[in-house]
Amino acid sequence: MSDIEPFSPRGMFHEGWTAEVNDYAIACGWALKGKQFLVGDVAGGLFAFEGDTGKIIWKKENTHSGGLIAMAIHPEGEIFATSGQDGNVQICNCHEGKVIKTLDLGKDWVEHLKWSNDGLFLAIASSKKVYVFNEVGEEKWISEDHPSTVSAITWSNKNELATACYGRVTFFDILNNKTNQKLEWQGSLVSMELSPDGDIVACGSQDNSVHFWRRSTGMDAEMTGYPGKPSHLSFDDSGKLLATSGSERITVWSFIGNGPEGTMPGELCHHTEPISSLAFSNKGMLVASGSRDGSVVASFLKKDGNGDPVGAAFAGDLVGAISWRPDDCALAAVNAKGVVNVWKFKVRTNLFSKGFK
Amino acid sequence: MSIKDKVPVTILTGFLGSGKTTLLNRILSEEHGKRIAVIENEYGEVGIDQGLVINADEEVFEMSNGCICCTVRGDLIRVLGNLMKRRDKFDYVLVETTGLADPGPVAQTFFMDEEISSEFTLDGIVTLVDAAHIDQQLGRSDESSEQVAFADVLVLNKTDLVSDDALNTLESRLRDMNRMTRIIRAENAKVPIETVLNLSAFDLDQILKRRPTFLEPEYPFEWTGVYDLDTGKYELMLEEGPDPEMSLVAIVNQGESEEELKDGAESSVRLYAEKANTLEPGNPIPYGEHINLRLDDKGNKSFILNIEKATKIGLFTQHTAEEFNMKVIKSEENKEIPFNTERFWQAEHEHDDEVGSIAIERFGDVDPEKLNTWMGRLLSEKGVDIFRTKGFISYSGNPRRIVFQGVHMLFTAQPDKEWGNEPRRNQLVFIGRNLNEKEMQEGFDKCLI
Repeated sequence: MSDIEPFSPRGMFHEGWTAEVNDYAIACGWALKGKQFLVGDVAGGLFAFEGDTGKIIWKKENTHSGGLIAMAIHPEGEIFATSGQDGNVQICNCHEGKVIKTLDLGKDWVEHLKWSNDGLFLAIASSKKVYVFNEVGEEKWISEDHPSTVSAITWSNKNELATACYGRVTFFDILNNKTNQKLEWQGSLVSMELSPDGDIVACGSQDNSVHFWRRSTGMDAEMTGYPGKPSHLSFDDSGKLLATSGSERITVWSFIGNGPEGTMPGELCHHTEPISSLAFSNKGMLVASGSRDGSVVASFLKKDGNGDPVGAAFAGDLVGAISWRPDDCALAAVNAKGVVNVWKFKVRTNLFSKGFK
Repeated sequence: MSIKDKVPVTILTGFLGSGKTTLLNRILSEEHGKRIAVIENEYGEVGIDQGLVINADEEVFEMSNGCICCTVRGDLIRVLGNLMKRRDKFDYVLVETTGLADPGPVAQTFFMDEEISSEFTLDGIVTLVDAAHIDQQLGRSDESSEQVAFADVLVLNKTDLVSDDALNTLESRLRDMNRMTRIIRAENAKVPIETVLNLSAFDLDQILKRRPTFLEPEYPFEWTGVYDLDTGKYELMLEEGPDPEMSLVAIVNQGESEEELKDGAESSVRLYAEKANTLEPGNPIPYGEHINLRLDDKGNKSFILNIEKATKIGLFTQHTAEEFNMKVIKSEENKEIPFNTERFWQAEHEHDDEVGSIAIERFGDVDPEKLNTWMGRLLSEKGVDIFRTKGFISYSGNPRRIVFQGVHMLFTAQPDKEWGNEPRRNQLVFIGRNLNEKEMQEGFDKCLI
């Protein structure tokens, strides 16, 4: 048996806790450095659970009339923001869920929220406009109308915000109210992710493709062949791998070497129905995926984007959102029936497992 | 998810002032037990009374490939994507468009976007028409004729403002443009709710039940009589009629079943396409030829039918026999021979509008590969001008009939009920702009086995 190699680092799902919220769970995330897990449901219910046990800490209902659409937890984990169909944004305290500030942006749905990495700014997208507020809810910047409803926002550095809409990605210097860069392409961009260094801009498109640009060179490329639209994208922390949805497979593009142009993507075929959520772990090449069929899988990836599953579980129904605890030692999934599942994720390394050697 | 679990969606179109909002309010206020979500454009004419109402800008998104058939409504994808997470709150969706909206992208959204099509099903397109103004609107804008062309139901509204004669003329104009549609007349948008909701308009059986002849193609002749004739000499006698001449094709060995009559009609259509030879009274009628009987003399005119061997003769005539009191008389006995079977056909008439319908109906099976190639080419070349396609097909070797439906280039083909004892046949309707009927029929004929 001497030709058998030692195991690569492996991990797996261990029993954690489950809980339930009132309606279809659409947003979740870890607060207070992993001590708290927050879940928002489509009806506007908000629930805070103890990160380790799942014990309910506080809950609120009907936070947004018409329903909740988005939630973003501040990077420090002490406060969070929610938005909804009522055109409002609420900034709340994590400990008790108390509203610190309500921002009324009008009658349009508020669909996207993103805190800047340093936590100084909250970017908000509603219809064709994007707003930037500071932590205490003071308005710092408003964009002009975009040509269509803004479909994604993300921070490229501490003062620079990227927005995606039909036909283009725009980079705004929000302190100097300046447009830094416009990347145009005729297509309806439905999702956007930036590599951690901010150079690679990846967008899922309505026409079932992923379009990406390299900001430094201005080069762009289109990755086609998806059966559905890639609504979910996730970069690993090194910015070398981009995992994408768009079918029941996870398609992973590798930016190592000359890729991904002209290369074959890695493909992970673990689910029977289309991917409904995707998240790389905070550190390392571990990607978690949730599917419409209710399955949740964690896969360990290689540099070429291929990889193996290292753990799987059944979450019961369409996985609405998925989230790694900041230390990557737990994975949470919330589903369309309002069920919350949290699994402990234990990583075994060669130190503990030498295989058959 | 089966079609039964999907949430039905009705699209409500029509020009500004046609009464969309009135109809919407009527639907919402009526006791029908449905929980309806309304997606309304930003610039609604008047406020909506109640219900779950969501405003949306009409965001028409074209794709990088430039294909108009891939164009979708981005706002609908966003709003419906959110609504489908709240399915407990409603069981029906109404989408109201602005007067100038192209219904294509709205309908295409339900075909193109997998997330939407997995949860929602397009139940039907209802177009409101202002009876007093549609005539001018049709002349002025492409949008209004497209809204008529896309409609499963046309509500001819404000009929109280227009005379009956004008309504009849208008209705036949609209019918020419869209032969699949159901036309309902209304005052103040007062129509029974069941005529606009839950239509399953894409269900052909429903349409056929309502209008069994909607798929019937138009023919250059109005009437066929089949006569059982022994050997001998016969006269075809005609009195004075509406025209000084009449076209005719006489077919030998004409069967009497519906299928045989249609086969005969098809051969006659081809013969009618050739130039007619004029025939003076007293001359023998040649078989299998397009001839034009001269009838301008006063009184009875007779033409000769020579039968060498007993057979059934099918006369495919431009007008009905009744109009000329046409009779077949055995010469020696001076005895009238009545027809065994008669069949009336939907007569052709002039089409003024660029938008029109084409129907193809053929018995037999088609070769799926040939059909795919033909449809693929047709839709890629003409997809922009073909607004709607509906129909069913008999694939050779498949026990079920295949139901087709499409919007522009997009089409789906799904197996439907089993044929059983029914004769296998194909029925297709295309509604579009400047379509070439003959070319399309010939193309389809090549797919037949």
